[in-house]
This record gives sequence, C-alpha cells and structure tokens, in this order.
Amino acid sequence: MTTVPVPSPALTVGRQGNYAGAVSRLTAFAADVGASWGIYTLGVLLLNTALKLITGHSYTLTNHQLAAFIVLTLWEFLYFTYQWAVSGKTLGMAILGLQVVTKEGGPISGRQAVFRTVGLGVTLFLTIGIGFLGIVYQRDRRALNDFIAGTSVVYDWDARAARLRWIARKDGPAGAGVPRRGLR
Amino acid sequence: MSPNPIGNKVEQLAQSLAEHIVPLIVDAINIDAILDKVDIEKIIERVDIDQIVERVDIQKIIDRVDVQQIIERVDINAIVDKIDIDALVEQTELGSIIARSTTGILTEVLDVIRAQGVGLDDFILRWGNRLIGRRRKVADWPVGPPLLVAPEAIARP
Repeated sequence: MTTVPVPSPALTVGRQGNYAGAVSRLTAFAADVGASWGIYTLGVLLLNTALKLITGHSYTLTNHQLAAFIVLTLWEFLYFTYQWAVSGKTLGMAILGLQVVTKEGGPISGRQAVFRTVGLGVTLFLTIGIGFLGIVYQRDRRALNDFIAGTSVVYDWDARAARLRWIARKDGPAGAGVPRRGLR
Repeated sequence: MSPNPIGNKVEQLAQSLAEHIVPLIVDAINIDAILDKVDIEKIIERVDIDQIVERVDIQKIIDRVDVQQIIERVDINAIVDKIDIDALVEQTELGSIIARSTTGILTEVLDVIRAQGVGLDDFILRWGNRLIGRRRKVADWPVGPPLLVAPEAIARP
C-alpha cells in the first residue's frame, strides 16, 4: 500500500478544463521529444536492418546529414500534427493529462493542428523558446504557437476520479496533505 | 470377615465356586452373537449428541493443544512443493487480479505526477508574475476557456 498523501482539492477536483501551466506543458513536451526521438531511432534501425538484409549494404542516415534532417523534421511534423488533429493531445500530453482546445474551448481542426506544429517550430527555433513565456505571463496562458494556431491548452485528466481513488485508499483521509494555497 | 466359623467356610466355598464357574460361563458366552442382536442404530438415535457436546469444555481442550508443536511437525516446504502454482493461477482469477492491481498502480503513479504538475504550475505562475509585480492582476485572470469553465469562474471578482 502506497502512502502518498492526498493532494488538496485545489490540485485535483475541478481543475478539468482549466488552463494548463508551464511545468505540465513543458514536461509533456519533453516526454514527446523523447518518445518521437525513440520511435525515430527505432524506425531508422529497423529500416537499416531491412535494407542490409535485402541489398547486403548498410545505409546510415548519419552519413547523409541533409537527408537525416529532412526525414527527422518531417517525422516530428507528422508526430505532433497527426496526434493533435486526431485527438487534440500527444502521447506526452496524454500522460500529463493535457488537451489542446480552441481558444474558446472547443475541439481543434486539422488546420489548427498544422499551424500549431509549425508555430511550435517557430517558438522553439526562431524565438529561442522566448515564445513559451506566454504560458506564465499571458492571461490565457497561451504560448506563441497557441496564438499562431488560435488554440489553448487545458487540463483534461479526470481529477475528480483521481481524488476519489486517493480517498478510497485505506490510508487516504489520514494521510491527507495540508491544503495548499493555490490560485483558485 | 464374619465372626461365625461356619459362615466363613460357606463364604469361602461360594467364592471358590464362583472363581471356577464364572470364567466357564464367560467363555461360553458368544459376545458377537449378543452384539449382533443389539440394535446399535436404535441406541445411537437415543443418544443426545448436543447434550454431550454442551457438557464438553471445548475451550479447555483448545487450551491444552500446543499449536506451536503441531506447526513444527508440519513440513510446510513439502506442502508448498506439491502446489501447482500455474494451475492455481489458471483456475482462479489471480491473473486478472494481478493485472488489475498493476493497472491501479500505474494509474496512481499518473495521478501523482499530474497532481504534482498542477501544483508546480500554480507555483511558477504565482512566483513568475510576482517577480514582475503582477500578483494582483493574476488573481483576476480567467481560469479556463469560456466553453469549459463556469461563467463565474471567468469573470471573477
């Protein structure tokens, strides 16, 4: 039995649909970078093995840096755009319980997913990450790529169910943490 | 012993006769034949087991039993060796219970990570804006998009 203290209701119940903050979003992004890199490396490895079996020659993308750059860029574009267009969340966002919505709160379109991915590249490389400061200093917690795509990011995890799970544990109520002073 | 000498002799004679006759009679009796004639079932029916049990002090018997000694005599390893764990898992829902508990642990880990993230999000937002002197302004910010949060949460006092 774990002895994790119950987080205060301010951190769980009622947070669904609220603007997500910087730590959750950047952690999700880091997880996505790791996942996409992992899948890309595995794919390249499998492709190399297959080519070696068929042709008898070994091809490595590291020897063709331009090709590797194009393939990787395309892959990253596909990774983010496809997931945002289909479900409004990437793998990392699903883990952290985040969801991309329109600035009004509705589901995003495929076009917005494309713009958001392009905007992510712009925010990362053209503004050297400064565009992300909007998550902390902008009233809608929107980064530059959110402005480009007309989107925002909200908490999507079932916080109410999570709190009930905590309380349902044997040591739940006894180990309840001190309510923390949140924004709500 | 009787004070009458004749009486004593008669008594001795009777005793001597009894010592000789009784074994002869006993040998002559066929116990099995008698038992065959006895209706044991009828006797058992008459016995009130509950009454007997009520008279027995079970607690006293239990107190006398040395459980530790019994346990020491049992070869637990031999018993465990005889158990077919695979068959046990197949026959019970142990597999699904293990799977369920694993899923539960993963869900709990995710919940913890998410809750910690929410806490840190609030911390960074609060202190990030406090650093540039916007503490009061942040308190008036909407908590979420208009379609996802209640109107009172958007337009907070």
